[in-house]
Amino acid sequence: MTVGTHMSLSRRLATWARLKSPWITIFNSGACNACDIEIIATLTPRFDVERFGILAKGSPRHADILIVTGPVTRKQAPRLRRIYEQMPEPKYVIAMGACGGRGGVFQGLYHVMNAVDDVVPVDVYVAGCPPRPDEIINAVVETLRVAKEDLEHGGKEWRMKKQAAPPVPAEKKAEAGT
Amino acid sequence: MTEALTLDQAKAVLEAFGPVAQLRWNRIQVVTEPGKARDVIKAAFGSLSCDRVIQMSTADVGENFELTYHLTGPHLTVISIRVHIPRENPSIASVHDLLTPAGIYERQIHDLFGIVFRGHPNLARIILNEDWPLKEYPMRKDWKPVKGTFYGGIQEEVR
Repeated sequence: MTVGTHMSLSRRLATWARLKSPWITIFNSGACNACDIEIIATLTPRFDVERFGILAKGSPRHADILIVTGPVTRKQAPRLRRIYEQMPEPKYVIAMGACGGRGGVFQGLYHVMNAVDDVVPVDVYVAGCPPRPDEIINAVVETLRVAKEDLEHGGKEWRMKKQAAPPVPAEKKAEAGT
Repeated sequence: MTEALTLDQAKAVLEAFGPVAQLRWNRIQVVTEPGKARDVIKAAFGSLSCDRVIQMSTADVGENFELTYHLTGPHLTVISIRVHIPRENPSIASVHDLLTPAGIYERQIHDLFGIVFRGHPNLARIILNEDWPLKEYPMRKDWKPVKGTFYGGIQEEVR
């Protein structure tokens, strides 16, 4: 194993177990259910996700990866934020389908927030309407690759957008000028 | 199951309130005034045994709101009672005491179109989120989201 050689033995064991068997939880934030049906199809023996150790869990408190399907409705946004906060670190989010990416057909409607990215930080996007089960498996495996890279960099910060500096108030600017 | 209503049967009861027309074999429409809507529903309830409301629909047709009560009964004929409510003063008497399920439809229409149903016991939000701003009715044709207004959900940026 090459990942995380700088860590203690117990920590390395936990990391190995976590990368060997990602537990996922699914949250429907207002989708049309097509994505959910594709996820259910992914969990059937035909696609056999257990060969990657992927297990679907009912509780976000047990999960490593949160799969969000659909645009986030205004009613669901606080609930999605709360579910994200309930997950233990390190946690990863997959936004699924065209709606999860930028709103899809619901973009600009009065009752949606347009994207999962506006509510919780997203690590991996899956395109498609709906994505096929093999694309979902690919996204989870890709999330594991991102997780390994995060271990090398010691956290998620290296790939997050740089936060813009807060704007300087006008009176402060005038003081600095004089 | 009883026989379907005929146009003549419906005309005998509803002709007094406004023009009656048969749109399809099982759908009869009467167009009336907002003030007479309760009387029409009472007449349809008593004489035509239309004891169920299957839908209350609203459309924004420019100057008016087109509110339609769809009633039916054991004869499976749909009586559509259509009224035009002026946009300036969108207000009509509630029918929740005649047809109990209509109260829920009235709450929804009040949410989305801003039509006030006089006499409704609890005209509260039912379909929009709780933090939706007051006096904003998203299904009206002239509604546009105002930039900078908070329409619910989560306000601050994540990152």
